[in-house]
Parts: sequence; C-alpha cells; structure tokens
Amino acid sequence: MPSSGTLAAVRRLRQSNGWIFTTMLISALISLTASFVLSVDAVVLAADPQAALSCNINAVLSCGTVATSWQASLFGFPNAFLGLVAEPVVITIAVASLGGVRFPRWFMLAAQVVYTLGVVFAYWLFFQAYFVIGALCPWCLLVTLSTTLVFASLTHVNVRDGILLLPERVSRTARALIAHDLDAVLVGVWLTVVTAMVVVKYVPLML
Amino acid sequence: MSTTKQTKPNANQRTALREQRERQAAAQRRLSRIVRTTWIAGITAIAVLIGVMVWAVAGNRSATPAPSSGAVVAPANATDTGALRFGTGPVTVSVYADFMCPFCGRFERANGDYLQQAVAAGSITLDVYPLSFLDQQSGGSRYSTRAANALVTVANADPVTALKFNKLLYSNQPAEGGSGLTNAQLADFATQAGASADVAASISREIYTPWVEQATQQAFASGVKQTPTVQINGTEFTGDLYTAGALQAAVEKAASGAK
Repeated sequence: MPSSGTLAAVRRLRQSNGWIFTTMLISALISLTASFVLSVDAVVLAADPQAALSCNINAVLSCGTVATSWQASLFGFPNAFLGLVAEPVVITIAVASLGGVRFPRWFMLAAQVVYTLGVVFAYWLFFQAYFVIGALCPWCLLVTLSTTLVFASLTHVNVRDGILLLPERVSRTARALIAHDLDAVLVGVWLTVVTAMVVVKYVPLML
Repeated sequence: MSTTKQTKPNANQRTALREQRERQAAAQRRLSRIVRTTWIAGITAIAVLIGVMVWAVAGNRSATPAPSSGAVVAPANATDTGALRFGTGPVTVSVYADFMCPFCGRFERANGDYLQQAVAAGSITLDVYPLSFLDQQSGGSRYSTRAANALVTVANADPVTALKFNKLLYSNQPAEGGSGLTNAQLADFATQAGASADVAASISREIYTPWVEQATQQAFASGVKQTPTVQINGTEFTGDLYTAGALQAAVEKAASGAK
C-alpha cells in the first residue's frame, strides 16, 4: 500500500511495543471491569435469587435471562470469575512489557495458549447468548470485544517476535502479513461483523 | 586478472543469481498482491456491513408499527386501575405480569393453579394486570401487547375461560427475544381453553390494544417497577414467588387477619 508521511507514521506506531502493549493494557482493564461487574451481579444473585428474577421496566436487553442460564456458569461458578483471574495476568504482562521487560519464550507461549482458550470461550458464550438464549447483556458484549483486542495484540506481538512454534515458512509469511497490517484489517472486519450482528438483531427492537 | 575472477561470477553463477533475484521479486509481487487484495476486500466488507447496519436501523424505523390510535375500549370486568378482575373473595391479590417475561412464566407455573382454585372457591379477588412493556423483546412482533389483548378479549366474554387461557399461554410461553406466538396461535390456545369460535376469531382484531397500553402506563405510574409484581390487599408480597405454597400461605394469613 502506498503511504504518505502520516500514514507511514501511524503504521510504524502500530508495530511499536508502546502501541501494542498499551492496547493490550486498556483492553484488559475494560475486560477486568466488566468481569468485576458481572461477578458482583452473580454474587448478588446468589445471595438473593429473588432480586434479579424479574423483568425490570428499565431492562433494555434482557430480563436477567443471560445471568441465570446454565451457560453463564458452565464450570459450576460464574464465568466472570475466570476474567477476574486471567485479566490481571494480562495487565501484568502489558505493564511489564511497557517497562521494557522481555519474557522468556515459554512464558509468552503459555500466555498465548491460555488466552486463545479464553477467546474461544468468550465467542462460544456470545453465540449462545445470540442464538440460543436470545438475549444479550451489555457487560458480556464488552467482554467479547475487549477479549478480542487483547487476543489480537498478544498474537501480534508473538508472531512478530517469532514466539509461536510455527514452521519457518509459515512464520515468515505471518510476519510479512503482520508487517503489512493485515492483522489490523482482519480484526477490523471481525469486530464490524460482531457489531453488525448485534445492531441488526437488537437495535430495531429498541426503537 | 585474478581479482576480476574472484569478484566477477562466471556465467553459471550469474544465471543462478538472476534466478534467485527473480524468485525473490516474484515472491515480493505475490505478497503485495495478497496485501492489496486483503486491504480492498477488508475495507469493502466493512463498508458493506456499515451499510447493512444503517439499512437495518433506518428501514426498521419506518416499519415499526405505529402505536395504535384507536379509541380505548374497556372490557367487561375491568377495574378503573387497569386490571381484569376475577372473583369476589375477601382478599385481593394483584398480579402484574407480561406474557413475554420469563419470570412471570415461572410465577404462573408455580402459583397459577392455586390462584385459579382460590378464585373459584371465592376466597380471593384476583386482579390481573396484563402489561405490555416487553414488546421490544419479541423481534418487532409486539407479542406482549398481542397476548395481553388476547387475554382481555377472552376475559371480556368469559372470566373462567380467561384464567385457563392465561395458564395455557404461560405454560406455552415463547422464549424472550423470539417473535412470540402469532395471533392465530393465540386464537388456537383460546379455543383450547374453551373460548367460543367468535371470541377466538376476534383476537386478531386487537380491539383492546389501546386499553392494554393505557393500563400499562397506569400500572407504572402507580409505582410498579418490574414484573412479576404481586400485591396482597395492595401491599407488595416480598416472599418466594417461584415456589408453590408461599403465596398461598401469605394470602391465608391475610384472610385470617381480616376476620
């Protein structure tokens, strides 16, 4: 892609550690906040099941049906607890990396594996809420979006640094594609798809 | 001479070098083609998706059914607070519910039989407030309003059938966020509950939709904030709504206190 001065500067910035880890940090903070709100809701709900078992006139998106579904506590405890455990680790990685720390390969590799499982789980939940439960909760959506951004930035840095155990050819190609910002295109399209799914199905219901 | 031999590659080496350079150039061209195609495809996809969103929102805005402007027709046995009244017992039980509300369904499945029997036995007066505020959660089909209108239509003709119909609708409750039951399906359930063919057929005319809307506004103006809300003689029942027996015990306590 031909690039003028500012565009080139923006693209250089996007490849810098500062940008990547700041994105990771902010996304992880958002995800942690949303997980915290959802966890508090879950605790309140557990203490007083009557509290949320109703349809409030201000309920925009759902009558608490998401929070009380079996999918909301797949492992026997509220899913949001997983966010409370995992996001602080991501925040630590991001802050340390911003401070110049470079983690060993096995560490970043483990982070990539665990967070990949996390993002798969987040999207499983999104599709369950969208297609099966038929109701969305705003905080859950926030988790879906911020988890995607954390995953994208973690994968970006790991591909760039050749952390992942890819065959040499694949690794070289992946690095070249990322150098041309194709990961940004992919994430942009992906997030627009998710947004469009939500807007098309739910916004007309709220008008 | 010897130096030129070292720096100047012979014919074979030159060919090899040229081929290698050509391979690299080809790979470079392939890469930039992929990059260009992906960028164009990605930006096109985003533009199309944004168009779809705008179209969905704008198109739906004009298709949203206008709030009915018909005259308010109050059904027989309606109270002026916007309830359908069943029975004449000494204790008044008020139930605020929306047919799309999943927890109203749970309440009804736990307590519906008891309320029906208590009305029949003459121990309670049952005021049912069929609300329509969850209309936005039935994919634009206004299920809450249409189901409430169906109940009112049946109750206007025959209160006993209406309570059976009410129970049928909650035991066959559609999922929150789905499009709900159609008017034809509502009419089928009405017939199943015992309504006459004429009454069932008039459900689709939505005669009582304006009354339902007015009653919903009235209920929220009176301070009701959520469904299900249950009151015993005007005081909110804060006990367990979802286990059979709890409400019955509270009603019986209120009855003995009144004596």
